[in-house]
Amino acid sequence: MAGHPQDAGHAHAGREHVHHSHFGRYVAVLIALLVLTAITYVAAKVHLPGGWAVVVALTIAIAKGTLVALFFMHLWDQRGPNRLVFVTSLVFVALLIGLTVADNATRFPLANPPGSPRAVKPPGFAPPPEGGDRLVR
Amino acid sequence: MNPSPASSDAPAVLPARTYLNAPDTGLMSWANTRDHKRVGVMFLVSTTIAFFLGGVFALLIRLELLTPGPTIMDAMTYNRLFTLHGVVMIFLFMIPAIPSGFGNFLLPLMIGAKDVAFPKLNLLSFYLYLAGAAVAIYGLIYGGTDTGWTFYTPYSTTTATKVVPVLLGAFIIGFSSILTGLNFIVTTHTMRAPGLGWNRLPLFVWAIYATSIIQILATPVLGMSLLLVAVENAFGWGIFDPARGGDPVLFQHFFWFYSHPAVYIMILPAMAVISEVVCAFSRKNIFGYKAVAYSSLGIAFVGFFTWGHHLFVSGQSVVDAGIFGVLSMFVGIFTAIKVFNWTATLYRGSIAFKTPFAYFVGFLFFLVFGGMTGVALATLSLDVHWHDTYFVVAHFHFIMVGATVMGFLAALHYWLPKISGRMYPEGWGLVAAVMVVLGFNFTFIPQFLLGNEGMPRRYFSYPEHFWALNVASTAGASVLGFGLLIVLVYTLASLRWGPVAGPNPWNSRGFEWATPSPPPPENFDATPVYTSGPHEYDEQAVPQPQLPEPEPRHV
Amino acid sequence: MSETTALNRLAHHFESLDKQQQAARLGMWLFLATEVLLFAALFAGYGVYRYLYSDTFVRASRDLHTWIGGVNTVVLITSSFTVAWGLDFAARGRGDRTRLLFGASIALALVFLALKYVEYSEHFHEGQLPGRYFTYEGLGPGPGGPIFYALYYLITGLHGIHVVIGMTVLAVIGFRAGQGAYTAEYHVPVELAGLYWHLVDLIWIFVFPLIYLA
Repeated sequence: MAGHPQDAGHAHAGREHVHHSHFGRYVAVLIALLVLTAITYVAAKVHLPGGWAVVVALTIAIAKGTLVALFFMHLWDQRGPNRLVFVTSLVFVALLIGLTVADNATRFPLANPPGSPRAVKPPGFAPPPEGGDRLVR
Repeated sequence: MNPSPASSDAPAVLPARTYLNAPDTGLMSWANTRDHKRVGVMFLVSTTIAFFLGGVFALLIRLELLTPGPTIMDAMTYNRLFTLHGVVMIFLFMIPAIPSGFGNFLLPLMIGAKDVAFPKLNLLSFYLYLAGAAVAIYGLIYGGTDTGWTFYTPYSTTTATKVVPVLLGAFIIGFSSILTGLNFIVTTHTMRAPGLGWNRLPLFVWAIYATSIIQILATPVLGMSLLLVAVENAFGWGIFDPARGGDPVLFQHFFWFYSHPAVYIMILPAMAVISEVVCAFSRKNIFGYKAVAYSSLGIAFVGFFTWGHHLFVSGQSVVDAGIFGVLSMFVGIFTAIKVFNWTATLYRGSIAFKTPFAYFVGFLFFLVFGGMTGVALATLSLDVHWHDTYFVVAHFHFIMVGATVMGFLAALHYWLPKISGRMYPEGWGLVAAVMVVLGFNFTFIPQFLLGNEGMPRRYFSYPEHFWALNVASTAGASVLGFGLLIVLVYTLASLRWGPVAGPNPWNSRGFEWATPSPPPPENFDATPVYTSGPHEYDEQAVPQPQLPEPEPRHV
Repeated sequence: MSETTALNRLAHHFESLDKQQQAARLGMWLFLATEVLLFAALFAGYGVYRYLYSDTFVRASRDLHTWIGGVNTVVLITSSFTVAWGLDFAARGRGDRTRLLFGASIALALVFLALKYVEYSEHFHEGQLPGRYFTYEGLGPGPGGPIFYALYYLITGLHGIHVVIGMTVLAVIGFRAGQGAYTAEYHVPVELAGLYWHLVDLIWIFVFPLIYLA
């Protein structure tokens, strides 16, 4: 590679092995993702009690997402700011979802929408069947 | 022509080649510009027009409130007016004015760059602003909406007024805000000139950077909230409709997740300006650089954890209310840090009481009192009494008008010479500043009293015992409006007939003053090199930045 | 020859091509952050209503065709793989291969959209519509059903729009890659297109278990 004026630009900062293929890595990630998809499907079939089903599903989804972000999106071999941006956005997603759901979960029950557990019965709808929309905790 | 931070003795002459007349003149060259300075100027012009429009709405509101009953309009018109006052002031002025106006102009100059990272996106952000404004104003012409700028459900989802265009307009402007923030973050990370480490950045850059972080993280949530209201209003999908099992308070969560950090988008740039002005006009470097720099980031992040204090009386759970109340108090700490550091900067400084400094004084006073009333409002038990009263209105106007608009005016006066090459008349500047500060006090201090007495906000009529204070408030508003009008008039006049300012009329050691005034299109002939931070007023200090000998221009 | 192409790409306001490419990547990550926050509001709405109407949401999930969701997940994951592989080729100067692989991704995305079309048609047929248009009887009384479907259409609809945008971006960039517009030194547009597509996949990775596998 002949030198060119911007020598600093030649370093390909952030992509160290730009001339080596990462194909093997991608195949490994693909297989892992497919396996995790199968696992999440099976886990759902087990019908875990309400809250746990979501926790398991989210854990697997986070694992898959991490693989995609690190390897397909190359955060594994990139600089600090890009990683920080991504992780920060996830923190704020958690913040929004967490505090909002926490509000409905800890409210005075009648303040929740009609039709939800322990709130008023919704107008115009028939009463829920025995068992109804009860919280499974 | 070699720029120099020191003012020359010879009568100043406008540089021959500036961003105003190069590379081209004429409407098309401005419409198609990639120059951040031109984009900044276009934003400044547009946001000033918006400020004027919002101000007219405000004066009409205050006129209506001159008497307890109907004065000049009916209740529906009044509701539409305060909605539009809020929408225009917040989305078309407060959010974009300092960052997209002054930020665009100054950021590259302050870091030794030739432009922002993405000049075409910058231009796009301006057109998105215009598009959003046009859509919102279209809605305005057809009567506008009466939901308040907060668009609370279930009223906003069921009203027959023109809420959808206003929502869409705000949605589009959100994209403008996001693009500006994106540009500034990338510019600050990748385009700093050699020697300019993070710990030498001008404090203006730190605060604008923090603002940009908020714009990136918060604005999309606003976009989605407004979209959901528009969808529900247009198609009745019932996400926020209790009759269909929806939760109207959910909208409030979404809306305030953006809108609380949004108020920090509005105040941080004003603080950015103040950090520069206080150093330049006390001829002293900032006291506690790191504290001020990091407190900007602190405000940006902690500001996201406080939104529920807008929902204290909406039915939010006590658990959430407790969390949000405590966290809301924390945010005040960062502002306090800045206030102490700015004040400490004045100590043993050599103060020049020019118009920008006058606005700094107003800013400081109003930020402290407005901020303290904010902490008071964050106290759940007190907020139960004050929520939706004029106390809240006075609190946020103290911060938004008292602090941000003072910051905007300080910026306007400090940097008018840099942007236009001409100086404003100092005497009129001080007169207007006094009118603005006094008028402001007379407008909003009565509103604290009114709110504490129980006068609700957004009310078209009120009981007679609130009459006197309302008259006082309206009187103050007219003085405030008149003062601002004076500023507008002499600013426009100065653009045409003001004395030529020279490269650095303030003898400021801020980095942006090392270029000619107005600067050439490419800002610097050659990349500058920095060996220390800005605002070094020590006698032995070398003026920054070090501009290498420019190469002969290849024309 | 490739050096001059690279130099031609250097914009006047950047000091080096490397800085310019770093800036492009950081800019793209910031944009992706905004997309993440955009969906976050919808996921928060989902979280709230799943909490409030958990039984109905679970029943509604099981009522959906899990196989369609599963196949679509596999399709998107594979399309992400082909995009990553395509970028790999672009980084070695083989834009022709990039075009092929991006084409494969677009084909897979079309499969995704076709399956969604099948799904949506059936929903319309069954009366599984959002809010006040909901007439399906199979979920029992109560507002959980209309709310589930309102969220379903919002989330999958917004995601579908992003799939279409992503396909367009891949098509344009893939076509240009095939024409030799990018080199081993300068292929940042291919990277950015890839990042957008991976985000589309990433969002679906969360949509699938929450909507289909409750």
